[in-house]
Amino acid sequence: MVASGPFDFDLCSRNAYLESKGVKPPRLTKTGTTIVGLIFKDGVVLGADTRSTSDTTVADKNCEKIHFIAPNIYCCGAGTAADTENVTGMVSSALELHRYATDRESRVVTAMTMLKSHLFRYQGHVSAALVLGGVDLRGPHLFTVYPHGSTDSLPYATMGSGSLNAMAVFEEGYKEGLDRMGAVKLVARAIRSGIFNDLGSGSNVDVCVITRGKVDYMRNYEYLMDKTVARETPVVYPPGTAPVLKEKRWKINSTRPSEAAAGGSAEAMDVS
Amino acid sequence: MFLTRSEYDRGVNTFSPEGRLFQVEYAVEAIKLGSTAIGVKTKDGVVLAVEKRVTSQLLEPSSIEKVAEVDEHIGVAMSGLTADARTLIEHARVETQQHRFSYNEPMPVESCTQALCDLALRFGENDDDEESGGMSRPFGVALLIAGWNEAEGGGAVLYQTDPSGTFAKFSAKAIGSGSEGAQTALQEGYRPDLTLAEAEVLALATLKQVMEEKVTASNVDIAKVAPRYHLYTQAEIEAVIERL
Amino acid sequence: MAYQMATPAHSAHGAPRAHPSWSPYDNNGGTCVAVAGQDYCVVAASTRMSTGFSILKRDSSLFLQLSDQLVIVTAGFQADSRTLHKTLQTRYVQYQFAHRRPMSVGAMAQLLGNTLYYKRFFPYYTFNLCAGLDAEGKGAVYTYDAVGSHERVGFSCQGSGKDLIQPVLDNQLKAASPLVLPPEEWMTSLPLAEAVDLVKDAFVSAGERDIYTGDAVEILIITKEGTRKEVIPLKKD
Repeated sequence: MVASGPFDFDLCSRNAYLESKGVKPPRLTKTGTTIVGLIFKDGVVLGADTRSTSDTTVADKNCEKIHFIAPNIYCCGAGTAADTENVTGMVSSALELHRYATDRESRVVTAMTMLKSHLFRYQGHVSAALVLGGVDLRGPHLFTVYPHGSTDSLPYATMGSGSLNAMAVFEEGYKEGLDRMGAVKLVARAIRSGIFNDLGSGSNVDVCVITRGKVDYMRNYEYLMDKTVARETPVVYPPGTAPVLKEKRWKINSTRPSEAAAGGSAEAMDVS
Repeated sequence: MFLTRSEYDRGVNTFSPEGRLFQVEYAVEAIKLGSTAIGVKTKDGVVLAVEKRVTSQLLEPSSIEKVAEVDEHIGVAMSGLTADARTLIEHARVETQQHRFSYNEPMPVESCTQALCDLALRFGENDDDEESGGMSRPFGVALLIAGWNEAEGGGAVLYQTDPSGTFAKFSAKAIGSGSEGAQTALQEGYRPDLTLAEAEVLALATLKQVMEEKVTASNVDIAKVAPRYHLYTQAEIEAVIERL
Repeated sequence: MAYQMATPAHSAHGAPRAHPSWSPYDNNGGTCVAVAGQDYCVVAASTRMSTGFSILKRDSSLFLQLSDQLVIVTAGFQADSRTLHKTLQTRYVQYQFAHRRPMSVGAMAQLLGNTLYYKRFFPYYTFNLCAGLDAEGKGAVYTYDAVGSHERVGFSCQGSGKDLIQPVLDNQLKAASPLVLPPEEWMTSLPLAEAVDLVKDAFVSAGERDIYTGDAVEILIITKEGTRKEVIPLKKD
């Protein structure tokens, strides 16, 4: 079959048939998520929690939701993890090539346009909800991109299952022309409100500050809570707990590749 | 008698000016005409012994049933209008089974006794509505209820009920025509440390005293709850008679 | 032409009108665990009450404490749980009036089973454990499904975190079925302090991965002396 885009649709009709017979489709890993962004005096601050969920269980307690797009552009992703990772990756690659071809800094609107045209083409089936932010020759920019391809340009934005919790904080605390300190504090507070009040969000706060010519990606900017209790009587499995049924021994060649490669010059090659 | 009581002994729920319910009192009287039944409690169980009036050579003695099983752990002996006892026993059987269904445990003996007394008081209810189980008169029967309680502080218990719906707990009790004499004999012969075998003898000996006939294996019935209900066979009764 | 009915009960096709978007049930999450020992019973439940991705309450108790020897703990739909607890509390008091003694764990276990089965075709959306000490003073745990099927076991877990916790308990407490022949010891021989420690660990771990388990865990420790309660905080995210 001739591919007509980045996806292979070969199994669509088969899967539709299986589903009609009652076969359950595989569960996708979602980033339940609180993601936010705001424009401050000197640039853009992006923020995200670090929980990813599969249905009601936590799949990853410390995942990264702030994706690299270009040296001056980052993008927070909510929705199906695979979609947010790939869609940002694709745009990131395309922009890199574009920079080689044009020798100019990437513009945030370019990234935004590429994202929305891809998402619109797939009519919402690529479920990525994004907060895109960066600083280019026109100054700081912040966009939200919805899974169906619509976009907004905003001074402050939230997305994901915790978006209402975070927006409540923004609506209360956002002012135009915030300084860096105030902006980062507000973003962290918005993410915390998602972490504590939205079950789809949790664990830590990631923050990314983008200013003219500088990016400060603060992974695990806040580490919020440790386990509350440690085991007093830890379970110890004595050696032999798992019974040995069969034993087989191999001689492992201990020659390291670096030694083998350097063998000619450093010492005589072993030809035995 | 009829001169003083006239009128007020008609309705079952009409008090006389002296505050008496004559129909209930008459029902209590009816028991004094019944055959004697005796219950004796020991720490190992309760023995019930009843007299069967075999009124004819042609009567099959085994067809006279005056002791009945309610549940594994409860047995009753009756005196008076034994036909009425059928209704009561059936009710008790349903109650005990229902308790097992609800709680997966044997019903406490006092609860079963209470359930029977509740039924005994239901005469005169729903006069106009026969279908709802309204009864026209009090039961004419008294019961000795022997049982075993499972829970801690439990063990053997003996209760007596009468048509007025009152009940009381006893160590040893006689009901029926010979009850007065028998109760006196029990009072003299009873000890709290009686063994079950001694209780069998005390019950049967007391019964023998108040019976007109000579005691045989076919004109008495003996049962025990110790801790399960058991109705004695002919041979077992004969063995007790031997020990008298 | 005949008169038109004001509100037709059926659609144009004659099929009964359906309301697919509305359900009388909700799942409010929460996890409970009970472990029976030789002379104790440990019963624990998380206190978070949720719906969907929202937290409704951080200190909601799943317990119905009937006496200092008998407790029921219920996960699932909180409205049904409340109604069930109200019914059982009433029946517990009525039993005491009628029979002049406290209800045993076994009796309450049967009553709970019947109460659930009574609603076989419109079930209480609840997942229960009934726990306490039996007549011999041994720990007793009964575990249920939503329609009253129940069984006495050495330990059990119900609610949103059961898929995470039950296998750990199976591994750590190694209880044989009470039905196997020849009979094997199926009640845990773990000392009380270790059982409590295990239960705490189970909740802390479930709280890491189950989004509906968190905020705090209430632990009831039932011994012949009575019931003692501990509250342990859990992560709040």
